[in-house]
Amino acid sequence: MRMRQAAVAVLALAALSCFPGGAGAKVGHGRPPAKQWIDFELEGSNGYSIHVSVNPRRHLILQVTKEGFAAEYMTRDVLADTDRVKAKLLGLGTISVRFHPRGSVRHPLLPGCGRKRPTVQPGVVRGTIRFAGEREYTKVKVREAEAAIEEPVRWFCRYGVKFEPNPREREWVSKFSAGVLGVSFLARKYRPGMIEGGQVLYWAETGEAFETASGRVPLTIYRHLRVPAPASTFRDARPEHLTVSPPPPFSGTGALARTPESVFTWGGDLSVQFPGLDPIPLAGPSFESGYCLRESGCFRQHADYP
Amino acid sequence: MVAVVLLTATGTGQARLQHAGKFEVQQADTAGFLRLGKERGYETALYMPNERLVVFYASRIERSKDDFFSSTYSIYAVRNRGDLEHGVVRARFGSLGRVSLRFRPSGRMHKRDPQPGCEGGSGITEEGTFVGHLSFRGEGNYFHVSSAKGEAYISHSPRLRCEKGQALESHPRSLRKYVAPIPLLPDEYSIALLYASTRSHGRYVGITATHPEGSPPGAGVQLGIVEPRHGMAIGHGVYLNGPPGTLRTSLPGAHPATATLAPPAPFYGEAAYSEESDAWTGTLGVKLAGLRLPLTGPGFHVHLCVVNPLRDRDGCDFFRTEPPPEQRPARRGSALR
Repeated sequence: MRMRQAAVAVLALAALSCFPGGAGAKVGHGRPPAKQWIDFELEGSNGYSIHVSVNPRRHLILQVTKEGFAAEYMTRDVLADTDRVKAKLLGLGTISVRFHPRGSVRHPLLPGCGRKRPTVQPGVVRGTIRFAGEREYTKVKVREAEAAIEEPVRWFCRYGVKFEPNPREREWVSKFSAGVLGVSFLARKYRPGMIEGGQVLYWAETGEAFETASGRVPLTIYRHLRVPAPASTFRDARPEHLTVSPPPPFSGTGALARTPESVFTWGGDLSVQFPGLDPIPLAGPSFESGYCLRESGCFRQHADYP
Repeated sequence: MVAVVLLTATGTGQARLQHAGKFEVQQADTAGFLRLGKERGYETALYMPNERLVVFYASRIERSKDDFFSSTYSIYAVRNRGDLEHGVVRARFGSLGRVSLRFRPSGRMHKRDPQPGCEGGSGITEEGTFVGHLSFRGEGNYFHVSSAKGEAYISHSPRLRCEKGQALESHPRSLRKYVAPIPLLPDEYSIALLYASTRSHGRYVGITATHPEGSPPGAGVQLGIVEPRHGMAIGHGVYLNGPPGTLRTSLPGAHPATATLAPPAPFYGEAAYSEESDAWTGTLGVKLAGLRLPLTGPGFHVHLCVVNPLRDRDGCDFFRTEPPPEQRPARRGSALR
């Protein structure tokens, strides 16, 4: 199979996973119109958790998590049925299951979601569930898994997904970002005690899109990493020069420096290693960079395109 | 295209008036144009921006293979002793040349309505040719134009009554103002800016180099030269975006502050500034049409501004409080923050 690879923007990935709100059809064996999600949890090897969701637009999202790492593999479910899923993750696995209800429908109360409650039908999925991450950093192969079909009230009030960003993470004092198509790096520094695990949070993200020659069954992979670190890893006391040296799985050092031509260069050997991948460079002349002080504002340096 | 460049470069573009009353008057005016063709790489033309002025101008735009470009112009402005309203242009450019022309309309005319916000009669543009005598040699015999053949028109604009702020500003009547450069490089958002100027025997020379925040290596450079000569005002100018290495400075807070300027052609050589000695030295100069001019020396006064974009959000804004270049004294001192 011929494959085409292209870097994708994070926003595009987010758009792929968006879904409509509202409730409609009966939960369980109902047929479209479907505004329902199927979710099931799996246990991957090497301590990774795997969560599979199929949204109302029949996008299948397989999410792998472990500590600060998360990867999402997104493709299309080729079946339109609410209670059946059939999808291929190009070269990485297959999911072909049918939902079987087990137990009665529940309406759990979700904190922060008002009086309206989602409708949840517990059950199991049975069939083929096979997934192996790149270079088999994690894998799973089962015939059955506990599952639920959920009809959420609002898109952010889902029983099956925990989405609780820490609002304190927005209270940074200074931040640095660098990015090139398909890869981005972010470092935020906080006041002492603001976040757990240190005074600096580092993020790295990468996205890739694969599609077949016909372009009909794409696979999009989005990887995300979040690592706390001590303040000493982010040195930005001098406004014309800063260095970052985040802890593993990052390695090396990145430095932003102002040249005599008043260009801010972002260089060094900083890289990040996502599970199953070779290290990805996070510094160089092709990266756009930006630095912000909460009290003063930001500046950006455009990339040095040849 | 040539006209657009010239209007932009010399500040004769039509800006909106700001009057206190509810209505304002846009005075009647007549303008003329005669395209003279290409001369040694320069587009040349005779332009009568109003009834009283005759301007010979030459401009050249060059683009390098690296996509860097430069725009060079020379303007010579004198009084029109003829009656442009009746198609007569008569002027003497000192020892450089003279014109004695009469417009012959071809019969083709274009009407144009008043601009939005104004009312009055229609403007009329007559196409045609100029006949008579024209000779212009330029400085150092650089140009040698002796034919008045070429595309020509005369444009009559009636008096208009306009809503406040809608009338077009009339062209400056002052010869010197007409040839004076306007700053094309914004000091806003510039995080490194160098301005060197001198004024001697009535000649103003000013060179500005600036690097805006976030832009790639290199700098924008603008040179303006204005001088009066025997009833004539002469303006020369260059605007270019220079490649890497054009402007180098010390960093904010470094003392003594230093800077070097080495823009590409039509400039040559390099200049250096030191805050310690307040000296502007080096081999920097410029070659323009018939003119080779050194751009360093003790007569130059230098401003250098290098800022951190987070500390000075407005960039190097010291031009903002100063008068236009042709009125600006070449003051001593540096402004380093």
